[in-house]
Amino acid sequence: MNAFDLLMLVATAAIPMSALLAPIAFGRWLLVAAYAVELGLLFMLTPGDATRSAVAFQLLGNDVGWQLDALGWFFAVITVGAAGFSAAFAAGEWSAANGRQGLSLRWLYGGLQINVLAMLLLLSSADFISLFIGWELTSWSGLILMLLAGGQAIRAALRYIVYALAGGMAVFAGMLVTQAHVGSLQFAALSAAAPNLPNTALWSITLLFVLGFAVKMAILPFHLWQPPAYAYSPGPASAFLGSISARMGLFGIALVAIKLIGLGQLLTLSLWRDVVDLRDILLWVAALTAILPTYVAMRQNDARLLLSWHGVGQGGYMLLGLMIADSLGNAGGLLHVFNYASYQVILLLAVFAVIHRTGTADLNRLGGLVARMPLTFLAMLVGIIGLAGLPPMNGFVSKWMIYRSLVSEGMPLLFVATVISTLGTVLSVYKLLHNTFLGQLRLEHVEVKEAPWSMTIPMLLLCVVVFVTGVAPGLVLSHVASVQQAIGLEPVNYILGGIESPAGSLDMLWISGILFAGFGIGALLFYGFGGRSKRVHQLDNYAGGHFLTADVRYQYSDNFYAGLMHRIRPWYRNSFVWLESSLVSAVGAAGMLARGFFKQANPAQWALVGTTVVMTWMMWHALG
Amino acid sequence: MTDVTLAIALPLLGAFLLPVTARRGLHWFGALLGPTVLALSALVLFGNASVYEAPYAIALGGFAPPLGISLYVDPLALLFALTVPLTTLLLWPGDDGDAGIRRQSLTLLLASALTGLALSGDLFNLYVFYELAAVASYGLAAGGGSSPGFVAAFRYLLISALGSVFGLMGIALIYFQTGTLNLAHLATLSEQLANPQGLAAFAMLVIGFGVKAELFPVNGWVPEVYGAASKRVAALLAGLASKLAVLAIVRILLLVFPHEEARQLLLVLGILGVITGELAAYQARDITRMLGWSSVGQLGVVFIAFSLPGKAGLIAGVTVAMHHLVVKSALFLLADRWGGAIARLKGAASSSRPGAAMFVLFSLSLLGLPPLPGFWSKFLVLGGLADAGSTLQLAAMAIILAGTVLEGAYLMRVITTLYKPVDAKAMPQRQHPGNLFASAMFAAVLLCSAVMVNPLWQGLNAMAESGVDTKGYIETVFDGKEIPR
Amino acid sequence: MTTSIGFIFFIGAIGLGAIGIAGIVLANHLFRLVLALAIAEAGANLLLILAGYRWDAVAPIVSDPAVVQTMVDPVPQAMVLTAIVIGVGVQALALTLVIRIRQRYGTLDMQEARQRMQDDLDAAAGITPSRSRERPAGGRPLPAPAAAVEAGVQHD
Repeated sequence: MNAFDLLMLVATAAIPMSALLAPIAFGRWLLVAAYAVELGLLFMLTPGDATRSAVAFQLLGNDVGWQLDALGWFFAVITVGAAGFSAAFAAGEWSAANGRQGLSLRWLYGGLQINVLAMLLLLSSADFISLFIGWELTSWSGLILMLLAGGQAIRAALRYIVYALAGGMAVFAGMLVTQAHVGSLQFAALSAAAPNLPNTALWSITLLFVLGFAVKMAILPFHLWQPPAYAYSPGPASAFLGSISARMGLFGIALVAIKLIGLGQLLTLSLWRDVVDLRDILLWVAALTAILPTYVAMRQNDARLLLSWHGVGQGGYMLLGLMIADSLGNAGGLLHVFNYASYQVILLLAVFAVIHRTGTADLNRLGGLVARMPLTFLAMLVGIIGLAGLPPMNGFVSKWMIYRSLVSEGMPLLFVATVISTLGTVLSVYKLLHNTFLGQLRLEHVEVKEAPWSMTIPMLLLCVVVFVTGVAPGLVLSHVASVQQAIGLEPVNYILGGIESPAGSLDMLWISGILFAGFGIGALLFYGFGGRSKRVHQLDNYAGGHFLTADVRYQYSDNFYAGLMHRIRPWYRNSFVWLESSLVSAVGAAGMLARGFFKQANPAQWALVGTTVVMTWMMWHALG
Repeated sequence: MTDVTLAIALPLLGAFLLPVTARRGLHWFGALLGPTVLALSALVLFGNASVYEAPYAIALGGFAPPLGISLYVDPLALLFALTVPLTTLLLWPGDDGDAGIRRQSLTLLLASALTGLALSGDLFNLYVFYELAAVASYGLAAGGGSSPGFVAAFRYLLISALGSVFGLMGIALIYFQTGTLNLAHLATLSEQLANPQGLAAFAMLVIGFGVKAELFPVNGWVPEVYGAASKRVAALLAGLASKLAVLAIVRILLLVFPHEEARQLLLVLGILGVITGELAAYQARDITRMLGWSSVGQLGVVFIAFSLPGKAGLIAGVTVAMHHLVVKSALFLLADRWGGAIARLKGAASSSRPGAAMFVLFSLSLLGLPPLPGFWSKFLVLGGLADAGSTLQLAAMAIILAGTVLEGAYLMRVITTLYKPVDAKAMPQRQHPGNLFASAMFAAVLLCSAVMVNPLWQGLNAMAESGVDTKGYIETVFDGKEIPR
Repeated sequence: MTTSIGFIFFIGAIGLGAIGIAGIVLANHLFRLVLALAIAEAGANLLLILAGYRWDAVAPIVSDPAVVQTMVDPVPQAMVLTAIVIGVGVQALALTLVIRIRQRYGTLDMQEARQRMQDDLDAAAGITPSRSRERPAGGRPLPAPAAAVEAGVQHD
């Protein structure tokens, strides 16, 4: 029984444990400990070699087994880590308060663990049947978490499951077409046969798999389900889903399109006489996914929705990075998975901490909370710096790598696209920070206290992780390099501080050192040689000769970026929403047509018509 | 080994004894008669399990084929014949007065006819048992005593009788060409039937038997009859009777018309059935009709599966058919107390937790969530279609997958309505314990088959081997005698 | 069928079938539907009997060799007997249903009976009919007053 089997055993056993222990406070901390155990077991595995599970079946003549290689290990660590931190956040006061309000804690914790188990099954698949089993289980277990909150979450969850089924069926079709052409459902069979497949077969297999995985990843145009579905889940569920659940699609693309079929093969799938190939299409779709949802996020007034729309955009970044042929670029894309997961968890947990204390996530009704919740502010600040991609946080490293390789690979337009996307990111995360924490504290929030320690400690721990991996990205890059090796790409040349390559290096240790040295000099100058600052109450102020009182708003935060919005408002045309709703209407109309078939006055009419047609067709066929 | 005819005869005897005994005041006897008879038939059929090594044929009355009627017992026939008493036992109608006695008697008649349909080896015998089953189902459909039930039953009768007219004409056409109606004899003459007249005869037979099998275009009766009849009757018709009708068509397809055009006909009709059924179910606003349309769609998948050539088609078809039998019957049982508008089901999960949980289980299996058996059935069908690879078959694959997404949409709509919170005044009805028990039995079968995938797979393989073995069929029936003409 | 008499019978069988099928498809009165069904079944049965007709067959067992009996294939005749009986049973059941429909709905018109059935089924299920003569499509209700915007959620 190796560590991998032990891990699966713990994950499975934790499900009934969660259902039993969730309502008890001490039990919830035990469940967090279970996640820590799972993480420890993961670290006991050597990620370089693939660990085969002892559990294997022969089902319907196919070998079904599980093994964890570097690619799956990388995603598994992120999954278990995100789940652990979310569960730790919720284990104390959060669960007590929400449980009293009617949330089913058993389903929440049980569902979280089911999700982790399903993702582990997916990440460790060794053939297409186990891949599909894990895929479907992941989709359906995500549904459990989304349905918990009730109300508007249910509509979002219904939309989600239809999209997820469509994607799952595309993956199923891809799997079966593979079996038809290659003759076996083992991964090794596809990678062996891929160079020799005829063009139509390769196109259909690749397209089916990529489309199926893209739906889960919320790549344009399949992105409409994700923001509401993830935003309206309860706290820890939202953080977990938002950080890693959609990335399972990226895992799928990395596995099938890059490892099994091969990036080189993707380059042979071309349209219009080799002008553009599938990889170019994917790069541009990813770039569009990085841009458009980010600007939609700028318009959101619900903090959770804002962050979820960002999730869609960052997914585009990851796909963009992965599809670049340069080792620096795809390392950047893979690193971004880890980085994004880390700060998305922080940001969502911070937002849920604010909701816990103030009861609202509406950015137009918050403000000035830095005075009351400084630790939460610090966590959100770190998360935002990371999301925007500024040093010294880890987001900077992955974004730098992607920018660098786009330029060196000769794709300047895509570089401009990513820059536009980053601009949108910076603007919208500042809106998030400002509207929540900066500005004027509202009267109803004067009594708000800092979030309890059970909530702030996980957030701050993650901030430390973000900072440390930002300053010394080599810690994560070593694993990224093994992932690259596992999927057949050239591994990136990394050092502890970052990247070492002849085309240009990045050493975060240096950069962070210089940055902090700069801060240090500035602090010295400010506090040592100047800095005659006096602390004044926020309301110790006058306007037009009148004293200001706390019930008067003298600092507005709604309709943020009014000027920019005035300019770009006409560009928001809701095209994708229109597309989706017209598709749904078309299906509904087709349904009415089909029902009309059953509604005929004389039932025999169709029988006669049908019989005549059928007989004529048969006789014509037999003659011809 | 001739005791398999008891499986046909005993329910028939019971059907006629039941009204007599019940009226004479022997209520206890009447109440026990039906289940006893069905249990005995099941035992008889179980006792024939040795047919896995050696299928056999019975010449009824001692008249040797091709002149006499023969019954053929092989693993395929035995499997379908066995489902009849077992499912009828689980779906046994309640005993409430005269109407209940009538219903029980008709159910026994239906069971007898369906068993005969599974075991028959002669085309006219198939026709007769089919008509017997049809008459029993007309009576069951109208038996609720409700006014819409009478109209629905009349319209069903109309389509079914029209189909039977076509079927009879098809039989006449075949007799014109070959002079025999014995399936084994026809199997030796199947090349003679590859001409336009023969295939037209096949088309007519398919229309004739397809009414019960909810085949496009003769399935207009489905939403009306299922909506008007009691749900147990609907479960019997949708779950059980349709499968046996499919078996009749498949036997004819495999033995007498193993031609490409015949398979393509079933493929096209199956595709049309999936499209109309799933689309109509998507916009349904009440549960019973939604389930009826959904079963039309699923039976379309069954026909598509059987249209695949060779062993792969037979295994895929039988798997989908058996899975649908279990799931649809159970869903109709659950819809008994929950029948009506879907909007009325708000909060039903709080009034009946096991019912809602089982509804979720059956829906997930229908949608093909691994490792439930629904996934394996879809895997076999779609894998066979992908392997075969012609344009129409790949289109069929895409349509079945799109149909699954539609199924997900409407089933999840119902499930989310079930679990919505609702105050105590507006709560829907509790589930009847009898229905819950029967559904639980179906759920147990489903879960057991999910666990025992491999043994089932081996059994199905053996069954399909003997099912496609036409030469073996001919030899067993004629038993070494001279094959005439 | 080389002789003209056989041809006439053949035409007759197909014709009866066609009349019956046409009747089933075109008729609107319930009783006429049952009659058409009876005619169609008669046509199908006649067709089956014709399948067994032999022009130059002789009885296999002849007691008096001087008298030679012409013979036809008896198997279809046995089958047709069965089919006729089945048809009679079905027609009887159909007539019972017609009587019941007349008692319950007071009409023998197929269209009206079908409409009444749909209405009853819809009412039993608790669904408002999507379109009916009693409730035409005009006069839609006013839109609900603008509810409080939920946290300014916007979609794209």
